[in-house]
Amino acid sequence: MHNPSRSVPFVLLTPALLLFAALTLYPLARGILLSFFVTDYGFAGARFIGLENYADLLGDRFFQRASWNTVAFTLLATAGEVGLGLMLALMVNRRFPGRWIVIPSLVAPFVLSTMVVTAIWRAWFHFDFGFLNNLLRAAALPPVEWLFDPNIALLSIVLVDVWQTTPLTFLILLAGLQAIPLEVYEAARLDGASPRRMFLDMILPLLMPHIFLAALLRSIDSFKIFDKVYALTGGGPGNATETLSMYVYRLGFRFFDIGLASAAAVVMIVIAGALAAVYAARIIKGADHV
Amino acid sequence: MRVLTAGALAGALILSVSAQAADKLVIAGRDGGFAQALAKAVDLYKAKHPDLQIERLELPYGGLYEKAVISLREKAGAYDVLMIDDTWSVEFMSNGWLADLDKLGGGIDADFIKPTVDVARFPVGSGTLYAIPFVGNVELFAYRKDLFDKYGLARPAKWTDVVTAAKTISEKETGVSGVVYRGTKGNPIVTGFLPILWAHGADVVDGKGQAILNSPDALKALELFLSLKAYAPKGVETYNASEVRDALMQGTTAMSIELWPSWAPSLDDPAKSKVPGKVEVIAAPGQVKGPAPMLGSWLLAVPADAPNAKGGRDFIDFVTSKEMQKAIAIDTGNPPTRASVYKDADVVAKYRWYPAQLEALMTAVARPRITQWSKVETILGDYLQLALVGQMKPKEALEEANAQIDRALKR
Repeated sequence: MHNPSRSVPFVLLTPALLLFAALTLYPLARGILLSFFVTDYGFAGARFIGLENYADLLGDRFFQRASWNTVAFTLLATAGEVGLGLMLALMVNRRFPGRWIVIPSLVAPFVLSTMVVTAIWRAWFHFDFGFLNNLLRAAALPPVEWLFDPNIALLSIVLVDVWQTTPLTFLILLAGLQAIPLEVYEAARLDGASPRRMFLDMILPLLMPHIFLAALLRSIDSFKIFDKVYALTGGGPGNATETLSMYVYRLGFRFFDIGLASAAAVVMIVIAGALAAVYAARIIKGADHV
Repeated sequence: MRVLTAGALAGALILSVSAQAADKLVIAGRDGGFAQALAKAVDLYKAKHPDLQIERLELPYGGLYEKAVISLREKAGAYDVLMIDDTWSVEFMSNGWLADLDKLGGGIDADFIKPTVDVARFPVGSGTLYAIPFVGNVELFAYRKDLFDKYGLARPAKWTDVVTAAKTISEKETGVSGVVYRGTKGNPIVTGFLPILWAHGADVVDGKGQAILNSPDALKALELFLSLKAYAPKGVETYNASEVRDALMQGTTAMSIELWPSWAPSLDDPAKSKVPGKVEVIAAPGQVKGPAPMLGSWLLAVPADAPNAKGGRDFIDFVTSKEMQKAIAIDTGNPPTRASVYKDADVVAKYRWYPAQLEALMTAVARPRITQWSKVETILGDYLQLALVGQMKPKEALEEANAQIDRALKR
């Protein structure tokens, strides 16, 4: 006999599944298919070339550099933001005079739009008149070529990203710290635990899900970095800061080489998928404990 | 009876549509300084045709190209007059998207500067006339006359003279760099490099559309271009138009290998420039070949599907006439495309560099006449910058750029 309660979840899920199919699965399948063709638009007039687009990509120095830059940026920015966010959260977790002004000030960079942030930092990075080099000169240190030294430019963009988005990880981790019951601290203190032991053995394990969430959110966002690079360096000097999003954008929307752009996007999905798999495995593992 | 009524209605409709087309003119052009020139042209034309309804669209570079291509490809008949960049013209003309202006009547007289007319014909230089040059933009060269006099340097005739002068001045004059240019990758760095490349007798692609950047002459040109960096301000790799103009106006550089006509007026304006009257604007130097400044002209064309083609042609003839070019140049600074206007005493009194600009236009070289120029320019720009920042050796950069361009052209 038909059991109506069994079909209810499917009925309720249908709108979401339809949207997922139309907006994610269909473009994804189309992108994968297009990656086997030479085309400047859709399938009309497209020429099948098998895996040639992928072979071209692997041999392209700009693609190799863009892949490396994207992974390096994602790891550095995520580590910086989570690390700094954790330090700030630990600092303001206890009550102190002026805390009410410190927390909003720490969050302030996050409410600015990226274009405003990049305009501010472009001025700060200026070699001759920038705030950062003026500070260095005042301290009798040599000025730094923030945006036009190929070895430093990517780190400068990481710095901007850390400045702008650490408030997000800070808020997540502060919420995590405040969710730890006071009794835990009291019990540890009664047992005579040192602050270092308390942090390593109690706070850190309890905070782990929050650290994990902050790292997940930041790495997904960092992996698709486009706007800051576009506005600060345009991918230069040379190709020192070009990222995969910029590479795909250029192939697709400047060259209209849709086949090659699709192949690059597929590779991007694979790399992002590998990163996400690490988190997914962790989440599945975590769910087993529940 | 019903058939008759329908026929009469259809006839009336056709008549009203054609009457409407003849009463209306839709013009699509650029924004910014170009828009002022076209707006002035429309005002002058309207004064002559008070009953005509004129609609003028102001669009940014990319937007104008996109709208034009979509309308022309779909034969939508959206415009009667189109303002086009000379690098788009090959695509537009070879696809049959533009009307034959000779067939529409009028032709073109010999007063128009030859290199600007050559790019308005297809096949280039000799074929059918598809457009009339409206903006005589050309890449110029600027140097500080006072500093050159101070150190006994003559006006640079060759690119090697530029290197010598840059070295001399940067070593002797404190606070002044020898030379400045746009080092940003893509169009800016390519625009600065092309006149040097051409003056060395090299090119990006040949007449058959084959990449030829891997030549010894191209390598000499690139080595010369890279040697300028030692005398350029720190961070020139990130310089774009605003930084180059600032350096010239603040008096912190002795030369700019690139100067566009629209930048020139502010150099003499004491409110903006610290060195008014001291910057000399000339045609670019030569090397093994004579000067080869880059042509950056804009053309006016009538789309093949224009609803009011005759009206469009009449408008173009009117605004590119000698009198109108003079009036528009004096009023808006739009660079003319007729030789006689560059020699006009009133015009030269206002723009002192016009004789040099005419000289540059006469020898101007157009970018390769290929449909994929923007792609080729991006590839070349990437590799030029890799060589500029020292991530690639010059020979390696040219060879790899050549291979990539060849591949792009064959896809």
